Amino acid sequence: MNLPFRLAFEQRTETPRRLAVMVPLLSVLAAIVAGGIFLFATGYSPFETYSNMLSDGFFSSTGITDTLGLSTVLICTGIAAAFAFQMNLYNIGGEGQLYLGMIGGAWAGLFFGDRLPGFVMIPVVLLVGAACGALWIALPAFVRARLGTSEIVTTLLLTYIGASLVNHFIYRAGSYFRAPNTLFPQGRQVPDSAMLSPLGDTTMYPTFFMVTVLAVFLWWVVRRTEFGYRIQVISDSPRAARYAGISAQRTTVQVMMISGALSGLGGATLIVGTFGRLDPGIVVLGYGYAGIVIAALARNNMAAIIVSGILFAGLRTGGDKLQISTDTPIHIGVMLQGAILLFALGGEAFRRYRVRVVRAQTATAQGAAQ
Amino acid sequence: MKKFWKLAATAAAASLLVTACGGGDSSSDTTAPADTTPAASLDVKAAVVYLGVPDDKGWTYQHEQGILAAEKELGIEIKRVENVLDNADSEKVFEQLAGEGYQVIFATSFGYGAPMAKVAVKNPTTCMQWATGAKFLLTKDGGGEFATFDDVPKNLGTYFGAAEEARYLSGIAAGKATKNGKLGYVAAFPIPEVIRGINAFTLGVRSVNPTATVKVSWTSTWFDPTKEKQAAEALLDSGVDVLAQHQDTTAPGVAAEAVGAKWVGYNSDVREAAPKAFLTAPTWNWGPYYAKTIKAVAEGTCPADEYYGSMADGMVTLADPSDLVDADAKTMISEKAAAIIDGSFAPFTGPINDQDGKEVIAAGEKADLGALLSMSYFVEGVEGSPKG
Repeated sequence: MNLPFRLAFEQRTETPRRLAVMVPLLSVLAAIVAGGIFLFATGYSPFETYSNMLSDGFFSSTGITDTLGLSTVLICTGIAAAFAFQMNLYNIGGEGQLYLGMIGGAWAGLFFGDRLPGFVMIPVVLLVGAACGALWIALPAFVRARLGTSEIVTTLLLTYIGASLVNHFIYRAGSYFRAPNTLFPQGRQVPDSAMLSPLGDTTMYPTFFMVTVLAVFLWWVVRRTEFGYRIQVISDSPRAARYAGISAQRTTVQVMMISGALSGLGGATLIVGTFGRLDPGIVVLGYGYAGIVIAALARNNMAAIIVSGILFAGLRTGGDKLQISTDTPIHIGVMLQGAILLFALGGEAFRRYRVRVVRAQTATAQGAAQ
Repeated sequence: MKKFWKLAATAAAASLLVTACGGGDSSSDTTAPADTTPAASLDVKAAVVYLGVPDDKGWTYQHEQGILAAEKELGIEIKRVENVLDNADSEKVFEQLAGEGYQVIFATSFGYGAPMAKVAVKNPTTCMQWATGAKFLLTKDGGGEFATFDDVPKNLGTYFGAAEEARYLSGIAAGKATKNGKLGYVAAFPIPEVIRGINAFTLGVRSVNPTATVKVSWTSTWFDPTKEKQAAEALLDSGVDVLAQHQDTTAPGVAAEAVGAKWVGYNSDVREAAPKAFLTAPTWNWGPYYAKTIKAVAEGTCPADEYYGSMADGMVTLADPSDLVDADAKTMISEKAAAIIDGSFAPFTGPINDQDGKEVIAAGEKADLGALLSMSYFVEGVEGSPKG
């Protein structure tokens, strides 16, 4: 193909501060324009669609609480992913660790039943969920640290096993997790003491505040503690870390286990709020996978994940509600959500690389020289 | 504050009702015979919530046909909400629909029941209709949240139908078609609806082929072409030569055709999916129910009963048997169909034994609706466990 010019991508040595702000903003703008063209071409009003998406996701009273409610689990899976990613440990099995968190949380809720009061029960459910998430990643963490086995493969494969476990616990006759009386197989409801009340007449639970505090705390851990410093050194230069006497093996296991625990915690928040039972429907919601995108949008910054998690939740809430508030089919809402995320992530390329237009003369000159 | 909004909403609803009635009066003044003109355009906001998409050629597709028919009959547009998972999260969808002023909401999956009931409590003026549901399941005894049956919101109704009637008839076709007396059944979940269907099919099979057996394979999914095909292939490998199904895809039919076996479909007339295997299929006709219910809501009432359609009222139908069904079987099917419709025959008429040979329905006795809706045993001739 003979174009009069070509584009060359050159890696930047450092990113101008201006770009760090401009790129995400322009990416979202570009996504909105591209989606708008698509909407217009398919016969829907871009303005009406976007204003509905915005108000349904952020600016209506049920919209914002639905969004914050959904963001609770997404912030959890977001910080879970980012915590591992920042040390170049690609735990992409947050989805599976979330299932295990749900299983563990539901077990704790059912087992301790009415034996413990609510103020003890809720932390117990959350902690058991987190512990189960951590256990689910223990094997990948160990073999990654000891043998260098790719955690991408192991954590992903364990997700499928986790999904099968959820189904097994629901559909197996006489399962501990299964409601005994119902005709349709479904999870047994945990007692009231293991469940939080939503905030007023909303779908938002107090766990939202817990996870935002947790995200800020982790931001502090990463930036200000010796543990965080160790992570930085290992990810920047494993060799330097070794010289400094930092055990990469031990830190690898610790970081991955914490990442798994955070995903598990996300699963447990679904037990104390929203679901209150092991629900097979959870395996198709993709909250764990969403965490990967949310971490990437926030460039693994723990505090920024609060923002990207809420944005993602708002897009999803607004996008899902589109088919009711307007006449756009569900697929358009899903498509717009995808487009905005894709552009936002694609914009990263411009932050990291300088794009230069290389004129055709140079190219022909090169061709002639050969 | 909350009270104020409730009051305001009631006032608004009341004023709407008044204007609606006023409109009705004036139109009947101007047009002389009201019943000869078709309902031009009913003033009602109706919505239907689908688990999947309307072109699945199965459960949702068949509801969509009913919705299309109702739209045509009433001259209205009905809101579709697609791809809504039937778990606790679906509450948001019902809440939003109620908030947007939809007066009647149809929910076409079993799992919508509990979330829908929650929204029904908060929105007493919205009429909720739960397909395949049973109010008993919303009570404490049934695993739900309401203390007693009477506490279940009065603006919630359920609708379903006696698929077992058509299942029985399809069993006659299958029982005549099998060469080795071994039949297979790809089934979704071990719940009464599915168990009842398997039993009715088996009774139909054994009415013409008394020693035949029906082997059940559970998939734990309503709509999963891959899993359903695998289950079908496993059954076919074990030697069955006729397959029936309680699934929303045509995958079992495709699998049957590939090895020259015969197939009984479900939900809609799906003969084109596997024409060399298709015998017949129990199908649904939801249109009349949707039209009737929407009309009632437009007139200000919410049918809150547990509607159970049948072949007699046309909600349950049997697809025309294909040419693979012999003339003898066709005659038997139409005779039994006539008997079911006039009420002289019901599939679950004793003596019926369960798998262990224990009598569950005494000779001459007919199972009542309660027994049908809570059926949890397999009848004689079924191979497999009714517990999944």
